[in-house]
Amino acid sequence: MSDVEVMIAPNVIEYPFRRTTGPVIGAFFTALREGFVVGVRGSDGRVIVPPAEYDPVTAEELTEIVEVGDAGEVVSWAWVAESLDGHPFDRPFAFALVKLDGADTPMLHAVDVAAAEQMRTGMRVAARWRPARPGADDEVAEGVRYREGHIADIECFVPEGDR
Amino acid sequence: MGKERVAVVGIGQTHHTAVRGDVSIAGMVREAAQRALDDAQMTWADIDAVVIGKAPDFFEGVMMPELYLADALGAVGKPMFRVHTAGSVGGSTAIVAQDLVASGVHRRVLTVAFEKQSESEAMWALSLPLPFQPPMHAGAGGYFAPHIRAYMQHSGAPDHIGILVALKDRRNALKNPYAHLHEADITFDSVKDSMMLWDPIRFSETCPSSDGACALVLTDEAGGDACAARGGNPAWVHGTAFRSEPTMFAGRNQVNPRGGNDCAADVYRQAGITDPRREIDVVEMYVPFSWFEPMWLENLLFCEEGQGWRLVEDGVTRMDGDLPVNCSGGVLSSNPIGASGMLRFAEAALQVRGHAGEHQIDGARRALGHAYGGGSQFFAMWVVAADKP
Repeated sequence: MSDVEVMIAPNVIEYPFRRTTGPVIGAFFTALREGFVVGVRGSDGRVIVPPAEYDPVTAEELTEIVEVGDAGEVVSWAWVAESLDGHPFDRPFAFALVKLDGADTPMLHAVDVAAAEQMRTGMRVAARWRPARPGADDEVAEGVRYREGHIADIECFVPEGDR
Repeated sequence: MGKERVAVVGIGQTHHTAVRGDVSIAGMVREAAQRALDDAQMTWADIDAVVIGKAPDFFEGVMMPELYLADALGAVGKPMFRVHTAGSVGGSTAIVAQDLVASGVHRRVLTVAFEKQSESEAMWALSLPLPFQPPMHAGAGGYFAPHIRAYMQHSGAPDHIGILVALKDRRNALKNPYAHLHEADITFDSVKDSMMLWDPIRFSETCPSSDGACALVLTDEAGGDACAARGGNPAWVHGTAFRSEPTMFAGRNQVNPRGGNDCAADVYRQAGITDPRREIDVVEMYVPFSWFEPMWLENLLFCEEGQGWRLVEDGVTRMDGDLPVNCSGGVLSSNPIGASGMLRFAEAALQVRGHAGEHQIDGARRALGHAYGGGSQFFAMWVVAADKP
């Protein structure tokens, strides 16, 4: 078989999807870009973060946007010993459900600690934000990722004392 | 058909357009569903189950969107079904919903179908490039153009038939406030002079890419009677059928597919129709490229094979003809893909309810809604009427 020429060609399939976020999810992403977190108040008074457009109990439209803290408590977590493409880090880290101060539902994000031993349910963590986009007259730093209205505007959470 | 009679008591749709930049997918779907509920004079709590359909998930790249849409459709804690049959899905979805009522499983079912083409890449999703092979298609038009060529060759249909269909549907759309395209100054020549995209399909003979949703509320006989009692004019379902066949097999007739023929024969038998041309008052058929009107007229047994184009040329399918087709403007004027089939079913029901507004055919009592999908291989149809079956 060694004299057979094997033809190889790349076959990359990708689509440029777009998202229209609407007024509620849009408010969440806009807040992230500005460096804070919002949820929405449900019919039962709970603050849902990230916000839901429609009430999970009554199905009614939800409109009361509520600001919550950018620090909170780890409700549950899983250690990622070997990170994969698309993960927030190329080193071990934790995925965690974080209940932010003022929120009644937890939100999924990454926690940057060196070892699983540093993680525990109930620990306090705080957001590490990307820098705000510079103004029109400011200098733009090479290689820095600025906030753009994306869940990764919070780079990760870290133990509260380390922020 | 099961034992329980089924009525369409609520119909809702969005204003179809190129980009609904003001709403998420959930917000858009919600809008159609809310309008259907309002029409049915119901609230979310009145609904027993939700049936939802859309074209393949990779169009928008949201996998199993029905899960995230449960809140928006009031489906939390209720049975929710997802239907997948490519472009015919809007029709198939309505049929699944009607089966749940006809079988006595549920009394009031909300069914919804949608597509947000502005968030997706339907054309290129249908044109996956493969190494070492020449690119075969550029979207659905590239796939269907040879079928149309074959039809023209076999039937002897002249080139202007497609233009007549496009002109008719786009002019009908001017009477439908929900239609995506409203081309007030369209003419025979403007269609004829529009760019040739996939010979023989011109730009103006091609459906647009739309954002939109459609929803129906279906009930049992008691629900239909209640609707009638308050003057809501329910549409009664007289027959439903689906058929499918593989994309390719030896001897397959892609112009006049067996699946569509069998599906039509089945739905007419259920509805007690022996002469569809005379017994059906108005038709909403799935015509994404103008030439599919004459082709489906034959496939749906409205005339002999090879004669469909003559009905078009004689004006039979115009709003003032004796078999009006796509008074709403059809897929040629609005194409939120997943919703397009349900829109055909909904528009058929609007006609027999007398609720079609400016594009109403006076005295329409019995209507056919038709959808197809894939490579002319998935078919869904229903016959609805003003009277009970």
